[in-house]
Amino acid sequence: MDVLPDRIAWYVAGPALGLLVVGLFLVANQPLGASGAYVQTAKVIRREPDAVVWRAWYFVGIFVGGLIATILGAGFELRSGYDALRVVWPLGVVIGVVAVGAVVMGYGARMAGGCTSGHGICGTAQRSPASWVTTISFMGTAVLVTFVLRLVTGGDL
Amino acid sequence: MNRRMNLWGLLFGAGFGFVLAGAQLHEYDTIHAMLRLDEPDVFLLMGAAIATSLPLLWVLERRRVRTLYGGTLTLSRSRPQRHHVVGGALFGTGWAVAGTCPAPSLAMVSSGAVLGLVAIAGLFAGLHLRDVHVRRAPADSDGEHRALPVPVAAR
Repeated sequence: MDVLPDRIAWYVAGPALGLLVVGLFLVANQPLGASGAYVQTAKVIRREPDAVVWRAWYFVGIFVGGLIATILGAGFELRSGYDALRVVWPLGVVIGVVAVGAVVMGYGARMAGGCTSGHGICGTAQRSPASWVTTISFMGTAVLVTFVLRLVTGGDL
Repeated sequence: MNRRMNLWGLLFGAGFGFVLAGAQLHEYDTIHAMLRLDEPDVFLLMGAAIATSLPLLWVLERRRVRTLYGGTLTLSRSRPQRHHVVGGALFGTGWAVAGTCPAPSLAMVSSGAVLGLVAIAGLFAGLHLRDVHVRRAPADSDGEHRALPVPVAAR
């Protein structure tokens, strides 16, 4: 519907995200982490008694919010995504690469106890030394691995 | 409380997803450009989010503000350990390869990008694999859902 700009600027989106972090602390005294929501959603699906049900609603909410922003922005359209990867590799390879990357990412997030939102924003904002260390570790590694990917693909990525 | 908290959960999730998709963080190209150090926007976005929430949380904790459902507002500050460094490095590797992370991959799918489903499935598998591999509760989760009240190790 083109109500939203193509891309909300960082100086609007960043503080908005920060206020959401503070807001969830004020309501539930909990961090706005996403990997934990995956864990709880899996528990809800498996009907485990200690599952935190509202985390599954939160998980669903991220879909809903993304959909609203899409409709208000460029509009909803079914597509594959990963345009830049699809230029470099055929679809089957892209699926394999994304799957392997995501498994490694999930394993690492569970090992570290959080991801980009959990440690990277909520943990650092709590001034947690563990979160700062985790964030420096994943930021540094991600930049390094991206550089290696660029070398391996001859500059295509 | 449960039903109301479910609604709060949905609302906070929706706000989060809205900001992520609005800022294009659900697009592989945005994250890849960030990690290639081609544009500073996402780093600045994260920095601005921290710069907004860090001082507010600091003040709210000092004032011992009562939260709606979680008792007195408490922040958790754990000591860094080996699993933070190694887990972070694994996470960073996957992040660079898949070009998305747990929350943006959900918004990726609801923006219509079907391959986001592969990322979500992989994330569920990876998180589960770690739990199967290590049969104990993960320690020191300052970023995931935590049991309250929170132990503060490194205050």
